[in-house]
Amino acid sequence: MRAARTARALLAAAAISTGAHATIHDHIFAGRFDIPADAPASANDAARFLTQATFGPTAADVAYLMAVGYAQWTDEQLAKPVTLSEPTVEAVVTARTNNGQAVTQTNRLNRWYWQATYAPDQLRQRMAFALSQIFVISDQAAGLNKYYVEMSDYQDMLARDAFGAYRTLLGDATYHPMMGLYLNAFHNVKGSATTSPDENYAREIMQLFSIGLIQRNTDFSPVLNAGQPVATYDQDVITQTAKVFTGFTFSDAPLSPPSFFGGGLTYAARYAPMACWGLELFGASDSHMKHDITQKDVVASYVGGVSVPNAIPANQTCAQDVTDELDILATHANVAPFISRQLIQRFVTSNPSPAYIARVSNVFLSSNGDLGDVVKAILTDGEARNPPPQFAGDSYGKLREPLLRLTAMWRAFGAIAPAADQYGEVHMIGNGGLYNAFLQSPLESPTVFNFYLPDYQQPGTFADNNLYSPELQITNESTTYSTANAYYAFTANASQGPLTDRPLLSFAAFGATPTAASIVATINTSMLNGGMSAALQGELTTMLTGLLASSPPPSVEPEWSAIYVTMLSPEFATQR
Amino acid sequence: MSQTRNSRREFLRQMACVACSGGAAAMFPQLRMMSTALASTSAGSTSALSGYKALVCVYLAGGNDAWNLLVPFDSSRYNVYSTSRSGVYDAANNPGGLGLVKPTTPTQIAAQKIIDGNDASSATNQYFLNPNVPELTSLFNGGNLAFVVNAGTLVKPITMSDYLASSSNYPDQLFSHADQTNQWQQGYAVETSNLGWGGQCGDVLGGSNGNQELSSCISIAGANRFEVGLTTVPYQLSSNGLTNLKGMCNTTCNGNNKLRDTALNNLLGETYANDFSGSYSDVFGRGRGLYSLLAPDLPTFAPKTIFPSGNSLAAQLQTVASMINLCAQKGYASRQIYFVQLGGFDLHSGMMSGNGNHGQLLAEVSTALNAFWSAMGPGDVNLQDSVTLFTMSEFARTLQSNGSGADHAWGTVQMVMGGAVNGGKLYSNGGGPISGFPNQALNAPNNFARGQMIPGIGVEQYAATLAQWMGVTSTTDLNTIFPNLVHFSSNNLGFV
Repeated sequence: MRAARTARALLAAAAISTGAHATIHDHIFAGRFDIPADAPASANDAARFLTQATFGPTAADVAYLMAVGYAQWTDEQLAKPVTLSEPTVEAVVTARTNNGQAVTQTNRLNRWYWQATYAPDQLRQRMAFALSQIFVISDQAAGLNKYYVEMSDYQDMLARDAFGAYRTLLGDATYHPMMGLYLNAFHNVKGSATTSPDENYAREIMQLFSIGLIQRNTDFSPVLNAGQPVATYDQDVITQTAKVFTGFTFSDAPLSPPSFFGGGLTYAARYAPMACWGLELFGASDSHMKHDITQKDVVASYVGGVSVPNAIPANQTCAQDVTDELDILATHANVAPFISRQLIQRFVTSNPSPAYIARVSNVFLSSNGDLGDVVKAILTDGEARNPPPQFAGDSYGKLREPLLRLTAMWRAFGAIAPAADQYGEVHMIGNGGLYNAFLQSPLESPTVFNFYLPDYQQPGTFADNNLYSPELQITNESTTYSTANAYYAFTANASQGPLTDRPLLSFAAFGATPTAASIVATINTSMLNGGMSAALQGELTTMLTGLLASSPPPSVEPEWSAIYVTMLSPEFATQR
Repeated sequence: MSQTRNSRREFLRQMACVACSGGAAAMFPQLRMMSTALASTSAGSTSALSGYKALVCVYLAGGNDAWNLLVPFDSSRYNVYSTSRSGVYDAANNPGGLGLVKPTTPTQIAAQKIIDGNDASSATNQYFLNPNVPELTSLFNGGNLAFVVNAGTLVKPITMSDYLASSSNYPDQLFSHADQTNQWQQGYAVETSNLGWGGQCGDVLGGSNGNQELSSCISIAGANRFEVGLTTVPYQLSSNGLTNLKGMCNTTCNGNNKLRDTALNNLLGETYANDFSGSYSDVFGRGRGLYSLLAPDLPTFAPKTIFPSGNSLAAQLQTVASMINLCAQKGYASRQIYFVQLGGFDLHSGMMSGNGNHGQLLAEVSTALNAFWSAMGPGDVNLQDSVTLFTMSEFARTLQSNGSGADHAWGTVQMVMGGAVNGGKLYSNGGGPISGFPNQALNAPNNFARGQMIPGIGVEQYAATLAQWMGVTSTTDLNTIFPNLVHFSSNNLGFV
């Protein structure tokens, strides 16, 4: 038996490493009467995987993952169609506007939180959220603040491209008008005697979306030249690259007569890929020619330790220039480690070993940037599946993002969303404004550098040991309080219906006659993947003994108190 | 914070009682911070820390277009300025231009014109400020505001030929927000460290503060590198002050709240093997302890001055004023460093018009600084001579327009405000080869093609001047905090 299971494990492992994610893998022994070789060893292991791969484990998901195993579960997720937000957000915004109701970004965010909590394509939505923290746009920029519908389409673009080729994502982000508005490629024009093209997108597409500031090996370690890091580009490259991203405008900007600053008359026109007014539309000396057609000496490739210059020739169409530039970026050796390491930080651990990064980078390279293969490699890697034993000074894992703790609680306790209001909107987050509570909110980052930096090192243990702790950058004496108060709003103030502005918690999991011990056991399974410490068990038991005496059934105060205090606990705040 | 976990658990157990009895301050043990190498070096050689002093860092995030804050008034330099800025901005005729209109009417002159008290020659000492900052004009003319001109990140004083000769002659990543922000906040541009010059000043000065649980460095604007030292970590609160923790004990306590509160406090007093759990627990625990110390009093120590509403910088400075008032009067601290921030300065577009344009941002800065000045005044907090406010920003912006805004540049203008400041003057001489108000021609010898200027004053010269005023006077301490200071001929610019 043992030998046969080993053979099946090897077969399953081999199946995991091929790139055929678009089809569901054949299992030799499919069916409920046999356990897949790569099934989680326990319900707790399954819950741990789902904490990494979804917005939080549910009892049903745990059972299903136990039945089908990691590979099949992941393949099915990779094949799931995308749950879209734009159609709903557009309908809500339209209905509210037609009825004289104010519209705000909360109308977009309610849909986002609903999808995170209930959409079946969980891994895809998690990947879109991770990508939104790399390919950042934000409604905090004045130019985007009113584009609720169009920003929903940007979210949908990330979700659609979540498991496709990196090069496709890079192009779709570049041409999206919301990115154009955020980083100033939109209406950027070729230079004149007194002006030069805006450099913002040229800088950030390199620094943040593709290659970073210094040359990297596949394990993310810096390439060193005489002991010093090697810069990937300099200011001249930025100035030259800025010329590539000139001539962009709305896709419906009129052409006869030409009006570069026109168009953008409908939602669809404001999220459709931008048009570019280059040689494809106008002659070189036409006053409406907005694209720079000079030669562009852009970022060098770095091949085998040698810098190879790249020059985009003069007199090409805008589309050709952009294609050339994005091809150069997407094939730069840095992209694989630069992107892989950040994705590992979003899903699994803040401090992946160089070997883990290298394994994932190599999947990135050998699959030509297939993001589906990359996320599968991240989640199925031994370093994700097998945490080290926990001794003092353990730095494996990460601090959980505040809003992921909220969605995990909703999913763990089968929170029931209110019915849609008369405008078709399901209200999830009360009065909104969760950014101030969490210092984190989808597509609401204060700058293009996301809520926290991948390289943030908390002063003390982390900095002293050269370890990274991104999520601790938004964890301070003020946000621990504001985050806790937000959790209170979604537990204590969501424990009794009817509710119209947030999900109602279900306490069915606690059973009809809960005791302190039974509540603690339910919390352990539902929120802590079975790993609750003895100390937390003790504290919750003492607290619940008191609460069950002072607030017996039908009060649900003991139940929501257990959930609330656990949400505030250091061990729930940690993903390991 | 070097308190052991067991003593912190004890401390929090005490807090559980304190919250019920209401007598927080008396319960605090006078925990001495462990001496650092820095502090012991300075023992006996740093000037005695008498009285109360505070530095307030106002970080203008994104790269303030400072060459539109302070502009030459005389025609020959003004004409160079406006040519380089792609002409005077005019919504109809030159929407891509960035140049400001020179003030001409008596009202405009009164609101904008200044004379550099460091320059006796009327041919070169006339300037004007952006029309949106009349309060700053008034502060400058009252001798309480100064400008430090053409300061920036340097590894040593250089000219253009040094820049062209070798990349080791200038800092890395000159036009990258994150790197330049780090270098300004570090006070060190040679490489990235994890330490800020404010936090390191806190390491030297904080040991004599009355309450050792409260960090010498306080941030109203979140995590920042500036306030991180070897043992100093900033205490963070928001511009809403200190809020209650729901469902728990705060200044009052009832039965069910007490049950939850006890559980939480005990959890925060545990030792955690995992570093993320441990750090989260430390931060949360520290917040609970300091809430007990500060929350009952903070509202009653708010300044009387009305701060402008709808102005996030003003809201932050109002909290700073309350904290300064509380800490100085209660004796919690004799040396404090505050950090506040206003963002939105990265105006690649929309510089001169539209929502969030430069004028609007400068108006926020001006009214906020003015309110803070009033709050520090006699009849209110009354610490004008003891509190020095200063700006930092990662770089200036290109003089030349990109069509609707400007891109990243280098040497910039910062300002310093306070009763102790030698105001009404421009400080543009750091003792290096580049000095004075810079030549703003695009092709000037020490400028780059779009009007990015090589700085004449290094960040460390600016910062060391402020550090010395605060009480970091030993040369050893200064050279440890600012390792590159020795490359500059002057370590004190004299503005405070």
